Amino acid sequence: MKNTIRIERAIKNITQAELAAAVNVSRQTINTIESNKYVPSTILALKIARVFGKPLEEIFILEDGD
Amino acid sequence: MKSGFLFPYWFRFLGWGCVIAHVPLSVIGRSQGMTNALDQPTAAQNLFNSEHLFFIATALLMTLGLFFVAFAREKIEDEQIWQLRLNSLRWAIYINYSILLVSLVAIGDTVHILELNLWVPLLFFIIRFRWLIYRLNRPANETAGL
Repeated sequence: MKNTIRIERAIKNITQAELAAAVNVSRQTINTIESNKYVPSTILALKIARVFGKPLEEIFILEDGD
Repeated sequence: MKSGFLFPYWFRFLGWGCVIAHVPLSVIGRSQGMTNALDQPTAAQNLFNSEHLFFIATALLMTLGLFFVAFAREKIEDEQIWQLRLNSLRWAIYINYSILLVSLVAIGDTVHILELNLWVPLLFFIIRFRWLIYRLNRPANETAGL
């Protein structure tokens, strides 16, 4: 699964730390999600999508191997 | 995220305090001829002799200390930290049971195996958990604020 968090953050002009604070996780967690090292829970994914005001499928995209 | 029970963050420092405090106690006790209660076959007959109190003051202090360190909350306890905890706990159990089985077969000293079991899972859990946290923090700090 890949995601567009980095792009969405750039559009919204917020840092990893600001996004982390908005969804109540550590900055490291946002960092590992962005670099596809950690797959967030459904709850966290929904919270992230809500911060950007977009549907979940626009932020998190399934890849062929998933 | 709602997670299970963990001790408050400051219990980590309390835990290390207990672990460090057990060292001088242990040294002083042993210098005065005390031995570990588990080395004394008759210790179980009298719980409140000086040998048993020495055992409480050292082994239990260290084990409680490690327990507090292992199960104190992180500053930000999120779902990824929780996953690292479970991962570390799994490895600690693997290693503990490997050592346990090998020592049961190869050594047969059941008294010291009990003592080993007091702290081996906790110590391996702490080492692996801190290592995973360190690895998690390293790349995050390099790209901070991006």
